[in-house]
Amino acid sequence: MSNNEIATDDGIDGATTTDTASNTLDPSGDPLVDHDISVEGSDSRSASSGKTVIESRNLDVYYDDLQAIDDVSMAIPARQVTAMIGPSGCGKSTFLRCINRMNDLVDSARVEGELRFDGQDVYEQDIDPVALRRRIGMVFQHPNPFPKSIYDNVAYGLRVQGRDGEVDLDQQVEESLRRAALWDEVKDQLDKSALDLSGGQQQRLCIARAIAVDPDVILMDEPASALDPIATSKIEDLIEELAEEFTVVIVTHNMQQAARISDRTAVFLTGGELVEYDDTGTIFENPEHQRVEDYITGKFG
Amino acid sequence: MATEDESVDQLRQASGTRLRELKGQLFEAALLGATLVGIVSLLILFGYIAFDTFQPLTASAQWYLLYFGTLVAPTAAFTWYARRDPAVRAVNAKAFAVVFGGLAVSLVTYVVADSVSPYDVLIYLLFGAIPPLLVGVYGRTTDERTYTGPAIPVAAVLGLGVAALLYGLVRPVVGIAARWIAYFGITTLPVAGIIGFVVARRWSPRHGVMATAAVLLSALLVAGGLLGVGTDPSFWVVLFSTFVVPVGYVVGSTVGTNSEGRIGVLGPFVLIGGVLAGATLERQLAIKGLESYLTPTLLLESWHGRVASEAGVYPQLVGSIVVVGFMAILAFPIGISAAVYLEEYAPKSGWGSRFATLLEVNISNLAGVPSVVYGLLGLALFRRTLGFGTGIVVSAAGTLGLLILPIVVVSAQEAIRAVPDSLREASYGMGASRWQTLRNVVFPEAVPSILTGTILALARAIGETAPLVMIAVATTTYTPPEGLFSSATALPLQIYAARSSALPEFRHGVVPAAAIVLLALMLVMNATAVIVRNRYERDT
Ligand SMILES: Nc1ncnc2c1ncn2[C@@H]1O[C@H](COP(=O)(O)OP(=O)(O)O)[C@@H](O)[C@H]1O
Ligand SMILES: [Mg+2]
Repeated sequence: MSNNEIATDDGIDGATTTDTASNTLDPSGDPLVDHDISVEGSDSRSASSGKTVIESRNLDVYYDDLQAIDDVSMAIPARQVTAMIGPSGCGKSTFLRCINRMNDLVDSARVEGELRFDGQDVYEQDIDPVALRRRIGMVFQHPNPFPKSIYDNVAYGLRVQGRDGEVDLDQQVEESLRRAALWDEVKDQLDKSALDLSGGQQQRLCIARAIAVDPDVILMDEPASALDPIATSKIEDLIEELAEEFTVVIVTHNMQQAARISDRTAVFLTGGELVEYDDTGTIFENPEHQRVEDYITGKFG
Repeated sequence: MATEDESVDQLRQASGTRLRELKGQLFEAALLGATLVGIVSLLILFGYIAFDTFQPLTASAQWYLLYFGTLVAPTAAFTWYARRDPAVRAVNAKAFAVVFGGLAVSLVTYVVADSVSPYDVLIYLLFGAIPPLLVGVYGRTTDERTYTGPAIPVAAVLGLGVAALLYGLVRPVVGIAARWIAYFGITTLPVAGIIGFVVARRWSPRHGVMATAAVLLSALLVAGGLLGVGTDPSFWVVLFSTFVVPVGYVVGSTVGTNSEGRIGVLGPFVLIGGVLAGATLERQLAIKGLESYLTPTLLLESWHGRVASEAGVYPQLVGSIVVVGFMAILAFPIGISAAVYLEEYAPKSGWGSRFATLLEVNISNLAGVPSVVYGLLGLALFRRTLGFGTGIVVSAAGTLGLLILPIVVVSAQEAIRAVPDSLREASYGMGASRWQTLRNVVFPEAVPSILTGTILALARAIGETAPLVMIAVATTTYTPPEGLFSSATALPLQIYAARSSALPEFRHGVVPAAAIVLLALMLVMNATAVIVRNRYERDT
């Protein structure tokens, strides 16, 4: 379909490509077992939803001297939608970016405490962030497709992970676009530049790109905040569907959105403090803390 | 009602408003004036040089009429026609690029190989290109790309090293072959390979092999035919391989596949045909033409100090191309690597970042150091420290390379910085390593601007005079450089030397004509930079 090859040679960050290449994409298999992350309870994918996938214990994050996350402990269950809400600047994005170690890219960021993915502390010395990100996908606030064709965007992850030889790439691209509810709109123009799509389509393309590598977790940082209401509602529908297969962690500052789509909600307030974390129903109807109630009813924040 | 009147009154122009408007208009006029002064004085300067060079008053009215009829009118008409239809226009632009690009490549290749020795070029090309090609093919067939990727540049460097070691052994063997066979190896083989590769990708591998064979065979036929009539086929082999073949491929495939725009391929041929027709008619009808100083003699002969009509700058032209070409090979990899390090790898906080900032500040300051100072640096480094000969190609290229290095670094840095971070994050988020992100996301986005910046740096270097004077490159020479360690020459130096000639036809004819040649060279480079930039901007 497309001849654009993506270099998989991994000259600098080590030979992780070949390691993960030996994993199969067979969903009934066991994609959690990875050579780079030793996993204790590696049968969690077959477990029913609700088992903890991500857990933070006394997590602190600093940007130089500024503390962005203050002693946060929370456990995120598998195959559910967990929403994180709170006023801007309270550290939601920072927490999210700790989970797949995207904060490694920020030189000034420093993480203390524990963050466990499948029981394994991801900040341990021998953990390879590249391998970690292959199992924890991410969707960003502003749609950021590559200036390549639609096809190449979706195939990107498989190609850089060196898995394009072992799966049927065409089929995997179609499958991902279908799951992202975009296939019908783009199936005749897979060779067209992704930048020609509308904002909402671009964001769904980014979701397709993230799920094409079949990760365990999808992190979403305000994925609909740059979109119009119709595109937003499409994304929301999509997220609820994705939760049947993936663990979804979504940051939003739209409280209705959190209430509509999430199973559990974490409320962060200023200073990077996790004030309350509970079932979404409880948070919105009967929060324990007065500050949370004030925030939700709009008295503050 | 009274309040309404008042608010309407507020809308009317008060005297204060008028004054403000007048000030605005004056400011605008001043800006326009400044722009005009700049442009007009440049135009006068160039007009003056062009007038001296072409001597437009020497030609008869018939001459102007003739070329208007054969060249200006048809070209203008065709351009006007082609611009109306985007498909035709695109094909027209592509045809111009391939025709004149191919022509430039074949001339430069022939001229440089001819002065340096085609056998040497062949040896280094074979040793430098075959190992990486083999590694690449091995990587494709075995899927070992993790290791073959970095191995490719290593193989090229090793191959060149081996070539340098074995040169004494290999050179006599290669030297047995006729000259044209060396040119065949330098030009026909790579072109045949590339055409085969392109065809194989576009149609099928079988077609690719056929295309390669066709190119090789037809080049051999051309050579054989010329040998039959007793001419040395060297130049024609080069022209055929790097001009006729690519033009034929582009014209052929466009006519075959692009039915809307195919008429556009005629563009460059209308232009060339116009020139040829004009020249033929001019001779046939004995029309009095320009007594221009920009003649074939000027471009193709070597220098003559006393007779203006016999003075040529061929050695200097070749010297400029060789020096600047070698300079590019030295400076671009280093400059671009430095830019990539500073932008992508250097730490952004802590002591490391302070060191990187220090480096960056120094580099941008170096971009402004006067070129004479670089000449002094080159003299100290190459002549005194390394003990190289006086005014040789390596020293000249090295000195100019140092001169443009900061420009290359800064412009490449800007190009890399312009790639949005959101794309990098997207790539890292997909589990790409830093190298993969650089290779698949950052580079493709940054390359057009990097190219633009570096071509502009080349154009700057080709006009430099002072540093070359400082490292004692001879201002007048009669042969082009024969290798990296032979005496360098450069066009601006000859211009500088000839301007002190006692003969007015040198000062007012040959010097401006040589300046026009230099300007044309720079113009071509700048145009290439603009084309590259526009092309990629449209694509994304
Ligand atoms: N790259 C960074 N460098 C320095 N400070 C940062 C950086 N990113 C975020 N911060 C700071 O960390 C705090 C939390 O930011 P963030 O996690 O983006 O909040 P949210 O996503 O909830 O709006 C803010 O005070 C912000 O200024
Ligand atoms: Mg945020």
